[in-house]
Amino acid sequence: MFNWRKLGKVFDPTEVDNRPWLKEFAQAPATLIFDDLLRVYFSCRPPRDSNGQYVSYTAYVDLNRKDLFEIISVSNTPILDLGERGTFDEFGTYPTSVVRENDDILAFYGGWTRCQSVPFNVAIGIAKSVDNGATFSKLGKGPVLSYSVDEPFILSGPKIRVFNNKYYLFYIAGRKWVLDDGKPEPVYKIRMATSRDGLDWNKHNKDLIASIVEDDEAQASPDVIYYQGKYHMFFCYRKSTDYRGRENGYRIGYASSADLINWVRDDGQAGIDIAEQGWDSEMISYPHVFELDGEIYMLYLGDQVGRYGFGLAILDDEKH
Amino acid sequence: MVWKKLGKIFDPTNHTLPNQCREYAKSPQVLVNDNFVRIYFCTVQNDENDKSLSHISFVDFDLDFSTIIQISNSPVISLGELGCFDEHGIFPINVVRDEGRILAYTTGWSRRTAVSVETSVGLAISENNGESFTKLGSGPVLTSSLHEPFLVCDSFVAMFNNIFHMWYIYGIEWIESSIEGSPQRVYKIAHATSVDGVIWAKEGKTIIPDKLNVHESQALPSVIYHNGLYHMYFCYREATDFRSNPKRAYKIGYAYSQDLSSWTREDDKSGLDISETGWDSEMQCYPHIFHCNNKVYLLYNGNEFGRYGFGLAVLEE
Repeated sequence: MFNWRKLGKVFDPTEVDNRPWLKEFAQAPATLIFDDLLRVYFSCRPPRDSNGQYVSYTAYVDLNRKDLFEIISVSNTPILDLGERGTFDEFGTYPTSVVRENDDILAFYGGWTRCQSVPFNVAIGIAKSVDNGATFSKLGKGPVLSYSVDEPFILSGPKIRVFNNKYYLFYIAGRKWVLDDGKPEPVYKIRMATSRDGLDWNKHNKDLIASIVEDDEAQASPDVIYYQGKYHMFFCYRKSTDYRGRENGYRIGYASSADLINWVRDDGQAGIDIAEQGWDSEMISYPHVFELDGEIYMLYLGDQVGRYGFGLAILDDEKH
Repeated sequence: MVWKKLGKIFDPTNHTLPNQCREYAKSPQVLVNDNFVRIYFCTVQNDENDKSLSHISFVDFDLDFSTIIQISNSPVISLGELGCFDEHGIFPINVVRDEGRILAYTTGWSRRTAVSVETSVGLAISENNGESFTKLGSGPVLTSSLHEPFLVCDSFVAMFNNIFHMWYIYGIEWIESSIEGSPQRVYKIAHATSVDGVIWAKEGKTIIPDKLNVHESQALPSVIYHNGLYHMYFCYREATDFRSNPKRAYKIGYAYSQDLSSWTREDDKSGLDISETGWDSEMQCYPHIFHCNNKVYLLYNGNEFGRYGFGLAVLEE
């Protein structure tokens, strides 16, 4: 079993000043390592609009590499613009995952549009940065990974990785919308696609992770790391309905694989759970696991899916 | 091309249709059989919010289109489930024989908030000669991509030289319109190929030059091989004020190709224009060209996008 020691909350978006587009939420943390700092991308929101609806942006916070609880700076603007009228990312860019490609940085992100019968749909976009990840330009107005016969809606939560000289995109795909007291709630499962160039993708077209809570279990944030000879996936999961409180809220799950295709789920190995009290006592979600200076860390969200920020845990390997 | 108009051959308001549909018989497309021709078309149902839902029906004609044999009495294909790309309508449908079964390429519609709709192309299969179709899955086979950002629709599929070819359209812009008071679509004709009819490779460009202006909307390409050339019929219009202003309404366009790669647009050679009076005097749209009984026919809609049916023309060479 992994043994994570929680180090506390790193970043609280409600404490950031002078950025009206960054009022609440710091969701889906994703890291990019620099010589002297750790950049953490996250998605945030301005207050709801007059119709009560949110848009989401992606921003970053730079942390001191020697002391991850020291905030050096927060991006002055979102790293990506919202899409033009009618495009897939007109109302949000969330979540975002980045990877270095030579001197550039590629970002894969969920683009949000609004629908009538259900509240939203999501497809995955691609953008590139030539200024060390400060700003990104979209490679096209449309998505790089969109819907298909067995993945009819909600392609979201991209996590881009490079293994064996190939791009792997772990993401979620919607399976169905269930009605909870008349309100549509999405069910989504963890999926994967591979690519040589990041543009043309081959979908694996299978669920990677078995559902255990219920058939309609929703799975998200498939974060994969290669460590000690095998692939480890930390993700989060919840029931499809009535999930906003402590009882059925997000928890962090775990699976391992030797080949990136066949995964064995064993949540008992995850080694991290909600706290008795405090900022992560109702739910923990959107794990991101990374290696830095010889240590393995996990960034994750607490209550209300990161409304008040994300925290950090470190792997205690003497107990592993 | 010289066409002889045979007039309107089907008026939906004279018949009883499934799904409580009364008006519209849009985008007629055929499945030719040995002794009859099945013509699929799209009807419109008003839902509880008084918004329209498009459904597919068919009418069977004898081989000279003089007698109606029957009209479908049950839904040909169901609309999609909650949140799916074809939840709010299927229009149009294009059918292709593939050995013993029939493939249907559908355009599914789902409603948006900032713009009215989004569309994608679905695939369904019939094992009962086109009486009904079962979808391959709940998602589309062709949809938006990096450089085709929305409104992928109007697919027409034909097999040439053992390759599936699809002509379709995709949206390039939603433009503001003070006349409609809501964003209006601009879309163009494009091309994709496939070896199995399921996995498609987009050619990645528009293939028919604009005639009106950059906001010209091109729709419903239909292609036939005849007398040593590939012929494409399609329709085109202005992007705004096209519904009730005949000057800006759909007209029939025409292009030809020797190799399916480069197309020459020459609308003057289409051989078809609006009539002085009558059912196709203000608009002509949704052409469908096909062989039947050693003749070449063109089905199309007239005024009001086919609200009162579709007509037929026969090629006189």
